[in-house]
Amino acid sequence: MRIAAPVPVRLGLWSGVSKSTLWTGLVALPFLAMLAFATFKPILVLPRMALAPGFLLTDQAGARLTNEDLRGALVLYNFTYTNCVAPCPETGAVMAAVQAQLPTMATQGLPVRLVTLSFDPMRDSADHLRSYAERFGADPAIWRLATGEAMPLKYIIGGGFGVYYQPNPAADPKGDFTFEPTFVLVDGAGIVRAKYRTATPDLAILRRDIELVVKEAVESTGAGRLVYEAAHLFVCYPK
Amino acid sequence: MNTLRAPEVMTIAHSAATPTRPTVLLRRYLLLALALFALLLLVNQAVQWAQPHPFTGTVLQAAAPLADFQLPTTAGKPMRLSDFRGKYLLFYFGYTYCPDVCPLTLASLADMLKHLGPAADQVQVIFVSLDPERDTLKQLATYLPHFHPNFLGMTGTSEEILQVVTQFGIFYEKRGETAGYTIDHTSTVVVVDPEGRPQELFPYGATGEQMADDLRYLLGN
Repeated sequence: MRIAAPVPVRLGLWSGVSKSTLWTGLVALPFLAMLAFATFKPILVLPRMALAPGFLLTDQAGARLTNEDLRGALVLYNFTYTNCVAPCPETGAVMAAVQAQLPTMATQGLPVRLVTLSFDPMRDSADHLRSYAERFGADPAIWRLATGEAMPLKYIIGGGFGVYYQPNPAADPKGDFTFEPTFVLVDGAGIVRAKYRTATPDLAILRRDIELVVKEAVESTGAGRLVYEAAHLFVCYPK
Repeated sequence: MNTLRAPEVMTIAHSAATPTRPTVLLRRYLLLALALFALLLLVNQAVQWAQPHPFTGTVLQAAAPLADFQLPTTAGKPMRLSDFRGKYLLFYFGYTYCPDVCPLTLASLADMLKHLGPAADQVQVIFVSLDPERDTLKQLATYLPHFHPNFLGMTGTSEEILQVVTQFGIFYEKRGETAGYTIDHTSTVVVVDPEGRPQELFPYGATGEQMADDLRYLLGN
């Protein structure tokens, strides 16, 4: 009659760790991974802030320009009028600088476009928009300037993009405007991803944001989409 | 014979009380396998819980609600967007003479309500006409029940419609001047949350089942 002695379970490297600690650790692993994801933000995204407005306008070549024409492209918008001269907060130079940087940006083949919307349709005919475009060296394949009728423009620029502008004849009889210089970044699905309420945004930040949205658009497929959605869920936004 | 049986019984009794080393090992490995299986199930559940819902549409993190508006409806009275607070709204923009895209999308929306079952009570589909010339409220009230009895129709003047749809990111343009003109338009479905904020965009072609799946998730949250 031989009594078998209890056999200890050997777990090699884990022999010094109690089993309950090991199980607890394994169960906690996914939660720790989530915490690490939320804390270290390995993937950065820009929030999907709002719906960009729908529009049908006319550009500097007299051609129609709609938000549907820009679907699939990342678009940086600015809002101005061509008679805007110093001390008016001119934003065209920023658009020109972004256009100049585009060839060196990591756009990964995704179309990036620039659109300037004029809220002064009375004076900004296609000819005026074209002259303005030439002044800033706008490449018509990349940078389009457009305007339309006064009332739809109010819905589009004021309501849709949330940009304040107001004719200011009392202050200046030439028909100048008071407006809040703003840049808006819209993704290929027509969703606002960033707003810069300044006439002089940091070009490095504009570049970073354009590249972030491009990266998300390119990599957010299959399992990658879940990772990017997790980044949205955990508010992994750049500072 | 008796002397032979006694030791056999004893042996069996002894085996049951003190298992041999291979039996103990087998039991422990089985227990270990079961524990590992349970752990895998637990981890799987945790991952399921933690991973984002695979939305068909694009989800927004909008902080601000849409601007409130009021339009005449097929319910017999003008209604405001804010009248629907507390419900998920699915807005679709089209016209009753639309040959293909609108009826297909409306059929998918009806299918979505069917898939939602009782939860459909928390959802309202609103069809906003982009064709005020031909789409009277009476025309909408005749057209929409072909798809679902609970669909609500909205229309207004050209200017009212333009103001409303612009903020939903909808473009539209009349094509042709004859009576049989068509209207080019954006054909996304916009989901508005119970607080009036845009929550999700469904692309054209999203099925009723896919939309119901996303809505069920949103309703659960």
